[in-house]
Parts: sequence; C-alpha cells; structure tokens
Amino acid sequence: MITLGRIALTLALVFSMASVLFLALGMRWDRKDLLRNGYYAVYAFFLTTVVASAVLLQAFLKKDFSFSYVAENSDASLSTFYRIAGFWAGQQGSFLLWLLLIAVVAVVIALVNLNKVERLTGGAVMVMCVIGAVFAALMVLDKGSKPFLAAEPGTQPFGLNPLLLHPAMVLHPPALFIGYVGLSVPFAFGISTLLLGRGDKLWVTLSQKWAVAGWLFLSLGVGLGAWWAYVVLSFGGYWGWDPVESTSLVPWLTATALLHAFTLYKSRGLFRHWALGLAAATFWFTILATWTTRTGLIQSVHAFEKNPLLVWILSGLLVVTAAATSGLMAWRWRRFQSHDQVESIVSRDFLYYLTNLLLTLFAVAVAFTTVAVPLLMNKTVGPSTFNAIAQPLGVVMLALIAICPLLAWRKTEGAELRKTLILPLVTAVLLVPLWLYLGFQSNVWGFIGLLVCGFAVGAVIQFVLRSARRAAGPGKSLWSGLGRAFTGSRTRTAAYVVHFGMILVVAGLIGSNVYKHEETALVKVKAGQTASIAGYTLTYKGMTGNTGPQSSTRSFATFAVTRGGTQIGTLAPHTDAYPASGAAVRAVIIGRPFEDLFVVADDPFDSTSKSIALRMIIFPLVRWVWLGSILLCVGAVVSLWPKARRQEQEARAAVPAADADGRLDGASA
Amino acid sequence: MNKKSRTRLLIATGVIVVVFVIGVVFLVQKQGAYYRQVSDLTTGQYDGKNVKVGGKVLDGTINRDASGVHFTIQDLTGKPETVKVTYSGQMPNTFNSGVDVVVIGKYASTGGVISADQLQTKCPSKYKGQASSAPTPSAAQ
Repeated sequence: MITLGRIALTLALVFSMASVLFLALGMRWDRKDLLRNGYYAVYAFFLTTVVASAVLLQAFLKKDFSFSYVAENSDASLSTFYRIAGFWAGQQGSFLLWLLLIAVVAVVIALVNLNKVERLTGGAVMVMCVIGAVFAALMVLDKGSKPFLAAEPGTQPFGLNPLLLHPAMVLHPPALFIGYVGLSVPFAFGISTLLLGRGDKLWVTLSQKWAVAGWLFLSLGVGLGAWWAYVVLSFGGYWGWDPVESTSLVPWLTATALLHAFTLYKSRGLFRHWALGLAAATFWFTILATWTTRTGLIQSVHAFEKNPLLVWILSGLLVVTAAATSGLMAWRWRRFQSHDQVESIVSRDFLYYLTNLLLTLFAVAVAFTTVAVPLLMNKTVGPSTFNAIAQPLGVVMLALIAICPLLAWRKTEGAELRKTLILPLVTAVLLVPLWLYLGFQSNVWGFIGLLVCGFAVGAVIQFVLRSARRAAGPGKSLWSGLGRAFTGSRTRTAAYVVHFGMILVVAGLIGSNVYKHEETALVKVKAGQTASIAGYTLTYKGMTGNTGPQSSTRSFATFAVTRGGTQIGTLAPHTDAYPASGAAVRAVIIGRPFEDLFVVADDPFDSTSKSIALRMIIFPLVRWVWLGSILLCVGAVVSLWPKARRQEQEARAAVPAADADGRLDGASA
Repeated sequence: MNKKSRTRLLIATGVIVVVFVIGVVFLVQKQGAYYRQVSDLTTGQYDGKNVKVGGKVLDGTINRDASGVHFTIQDLTGKPETVKVTYSGQMPNTFNSGVDVVVIGKYASTGGVISADQLQTKCPSKYKGQASSAPTPSAAQ
C-alpha cells in the first residue's frame, strides 16, 4: 500500500506538470484541442491525488502502523473521528490534504468549462496545477514531507498530541486549507487575465464565488483556532499573536480587502490594480503562513534549519510568485487602468478605498513584525506591540464599516449626511447605560471603541431601513419593504449580516482584552477553602480522579461557584497526567451573556497536592466574539446561496437598475 | 478624470502610509526584544533592554512565591552561563525542570535577572520537533 501511495503521488506530480504544459501551449497558440488535453491531464492529476489520499486515509482507518506517518499521528486507542483527524495532524498529511483540495478545485473548474473551452479558464487551471505541482514535488522530494514512508520495524505508535484531541482542532486545519485553496482561485484567474491582457471583468465574475467561499472557510478556520486556544490551551486567552496565528490572520485581512475590491471592480470598474494586487497578495500570504509554520525559521529556539529543501522550495514559490505577479502587472498596467475615479472624499468610493488601504497596511504590518523583524533585525516583538497596532486600527476600520453604507456613491451632500447620522448617534447613546452597567468607564479608549460599536449598530439598522423604504416604494409602509430589503439582494443582505457580525467581534475583542480582569489565589486542599474574583466566590469541595484520554490520569479539583450569595454552578479545573509526556492543566469556563469566568490551575496538581495555585480570569463580552464569528460565516453563506429563479426575477423587479444600491446588486447577479 | 481629487487622494494615501510606517517602526524599535543566548547577556550591553532568550530550566531552581515563579535557565549552546528568571503570568502546560524554555522580558544585570512577561516551552520529547508554548497553537498545524 505504501508503494501504491508513493506511485500515485509521483503520477500526480507528472500529470500536474503535463497539464501545465498542455494548458500553457494551448493558451499561447489559442488551440482548443491542447486546452482540452490539458483538462484531461487535470482529471488524471485529480484521480491520482484521490488515490494517494485514499491510501493514507485507509491506513489511518485500518490502524496500519507500518506507515511511518500513521504511527506518528495515531494509535490503536483513538476513535474513528480522531483517527481521521490524524490525516492532517502532521506536515506530510497537511500537504497531501492541500494537494487534494487544489486538485478538487482545478478539476471542478475544468469540468465546468470543458464544453466552453476558453483561454482565461485554461490559464487559471494552469496556475492551480503549477501550485499543485509544487506541493506534489515537495512530497515526492523532501524527506520530511513524504507521507508514504515505511515505519522502522518495532515502532510504537505515538498517538495524537493530546492538545489536538478536540473537535475544533480536528476541523481547524481543513477549514484553513479550504480557505487557502479557495483564495488561490482569484490569484489563478488574475495571473491568467494578466497573461492574456484581458482588462475586462470576466476573471472577477469567474472567481468571485471562490473568493467568498475561501474567505468563509478562512474565517471559520481562524475562529476555530481561537476558540480551541481559549478552551483547550488554557493559557488564559484566545489569541496570543503567535507567529502561526498571526500569519493565518494576514491572508484573511487581504482577502477581506479583495472582496471589497471585487465588488467595485465589477460594478464600477474601480480598484482594478487593487483587485489584481490583493488576489496575488492573499495567495502569497497563504504560502508565507505555510512557510512560517513549516520551516520553523521564526519560532525555533535554535536558529538553524534542519530541512533545507523544504525551505528552498517554499521560499522559491514565494519569490517566483512575487516576481511573476509584479512583472505581469507592470507589463499590463495600462490595460487595467480604472474607467472611473474616486470623485470625493465624502463618498462611499473613498471609504472603500480607505478600507482597502488600511486592511492592506494592517496585513503588511502584521506580516512584517511576525516574519521580517525576527529574521532581518534579529528582534522579536510580543503581543503588546501587535495590540498597539491592531487596537486603534480596529476601531478606525469599525468606524469605516459604520459610515460607509450611509454615504452615497461618488458624492454625498452635507445635509443628507447629517440626516443619516441621527439614528447611529442615537443608538450609540442608547447603549451607553449597558456599558456603564458593565463598568466599562474604567478605560477611556475601550469606552470610545464601544461607543463606535454602538454607532455602527445604528448604521447597520439605518442601512436596512433605507433599503426597506426604497423597496417599499413611495407611499407604502416601511414594513412592506422590510422583507424585500433582506431578500432583494444577496450581496446586500450578506453585507448587513457580516458587518453586524464584525461589530460584535470587535466589541467582544474590546471587552475581553481591555477589560480582562485576573486574580490568582493559592487554595489549600481542604473543603470550604475559598477564592474570589469580582463578586464570584469559589469554594473548594474536593478532589476526584478518573482516566482521561490516552491513558492519562485526570485529577479534578471541584469548586462551587457563587455570585451574590446564589450558587451559579460548579467548576472543576483539572490536570491530565500523561504516562509518557508530563502533565497538562486544563481550564474550565462558566459562560454568562456578558462575561466568562475562566478558571485554571497554574501548576499541575494531583491527589497528593497540598494546595492549588488557582488563576481566575473574567473575560467580558468574549461570547460576542464567537457569536460574531458565526455571523461572519452566515453572511458569507447567504451571499453564496444560489438564487431561486423566481426570487431573482422578483429581486430585479423590486430594485430598479438606476437605484444607487442597484449597482451593487448588479455585482451579485 | 478629476485631477484635483486624484491629487488629494494621493496625498491622503501618502500621509496615511507614512504615519503608519513610522508608527510600526517606532513600536518595533521601542518594544522589540533582542534574540540572544544566555551567554550573550553577561557582556553587559543588554542591561535594561528587552531580550528573548532560550535556555534549559535547571533542576531544583523552581520556586513559587507571592510575586510569581522564579527559576534559573542555562545557555543552550553548551556554555556554562545561567540567568535567573522571574515570571508571574500563566504557566505553560509543559513547564518543568529540564525543559527548554524561551523567555521574553527585561534584563537587569544587577542580580542577573530577567523579569519575563512571556514564557514559552518547547515540548520535551514525545512530539518531536513540534514547538509548543502557552500561547501557541503551533502544535496544531
């Protein structure tokens, strides 16, 4: 079986290169037969990748520890769910999953276009196959990336890292990879349209849904990673600006900018260079994220790298991508000159521009401080530096989210602007009692941020109401238009939901970072001992033990939690002691609508301990981060949902084409 | 094509980019920690500076009191130098005697102590090569 996997992988490399060759020639000479042959090679590339993946998957399912990779990432005691997760628990399997996803996307694009073969799509599939060939080559050539190696005789299965035994961590890597691959499609079409010198919007039309889907999965991946860090890693937070986290955020930022650039590219022909640049940057940053994670150049305690081939191949991909994109863009610069211009500073166009600029700067700053500062300046910065960049920028961008939909395209008159500001201002004021009740006046910057959040909520409501009024038509009640304000345009409905979700995320980030409150207490192991934080009292009840995952011994210290005299629950922070790899403390959380009580022991404890070093943290509004993240994904799903034909006609009828927002609707149709 | 608004747009962009770049460079200069070995610290030039240092936690040096945890780490390049560390934040799960840690914080040459505000551990043995630290989901990828 190992040999079969290895052969399939080698063939995948051959077929991906063959399709690159056919598609490149077909594109160059505009020959449909060559393009079609290229597509056939893509099918073969896809099938061989599926075979390779199936071989590895069956090895995990059948507990075939003769595969070195399976022995390293699984053991006989794991459930089927976690045995499947072993597939992407290490580098080799992650690359194979990535390759499989590239092949899936390439074959879908090829299948959809087999009957209307044309050069633009052929070029995009070619770029996908180039990326696929690089990953296949990595797995064929680089020893540390080979998924199909025989285990040394007598190897004991390692099992899965216990920290990864959590559903969020099973889903986090595939979500990220789907996001990365989805977001490489706009790059592939961008390169193709540059090669052909086609300055029209077809490449955007063909890749926009892929970009939205990629963004959706990347959001999901980043969110799941944060949630896992919060509930499993137990370090007292969900985001530590670790290089791996930071570099997965960077492509999310540029992808967000890309989606906005696409909207205006399609509707108005604006941001054409931006769209190309952002598509390339997003892809480049996904490779940079992998480069950071896999080469270990940034994190390693030791400055030397053990795996030079991997570094060379990934660095080569980064250099070639950057050089090819900038070269092609310089060559075709004039063909992508915008038809239109940003006319006024007080317009939606300008704020779109500002949003894109700030998102890009933010992305570059995070990438620079994460990667370039340690490598080039031999220095390192901590979370406080990233926060100092992210916090003000986050609030400014939130303000842009708030104001942007209120302004008209092109230019907004002062009187009109003042009128639309009333509702957001009122909402900001109405929410002040809530912030005061939660005690948020203690930090002025956080308070300002939350005022902006309140304003932004009002702006979203205003946005919905305005669309409703327009949909209802003159003389009819607002309510009659409210339904249509949501069903009228998928893009616009998605914008309401995503923007509202983003406001919740930012409010949650402000609450849980700025107003985080932490106490430590050394609690004697004796029933009735107490520790307290901000109105909560924890009373020690006793210690129990059972068997945790991977034959670990799990010790629970149980506390009754009371608030204002009434018991609100029990918490049992625990320690997992693994026979092979030491002990890990695990946090427990009581969630309330406005704050979480997070409790973890500072040191591992067991039944022989005399006292427990307890760390208690209050995270205000942290649930809003999760809720908001879910809304981001819901919004993306809304915009991807295929339209029923009847609805589409209704939507067309409901929103006249000349309507200012109609331009945006045109983009989604 | 409106030349005036185009110029304005360029100026606005330029101002934003320049302010932003200066801000980031300033922050990195001010808050960045030098990545050094334990043996580099004794030269004295890092007194009062932020440093990031890797080292092995020496057996029997871990003490906990009201102000936090105190321990001593030894140079990783095989040199005999050691440095004391004081830390009061959340402990990483795998922290113990004998593990390799990375500490980030301000170094004071009087007393030879690093007041760490970050402490990360490298996994000792089982999960080969996968760095794990308190704030690090890196083991996952």
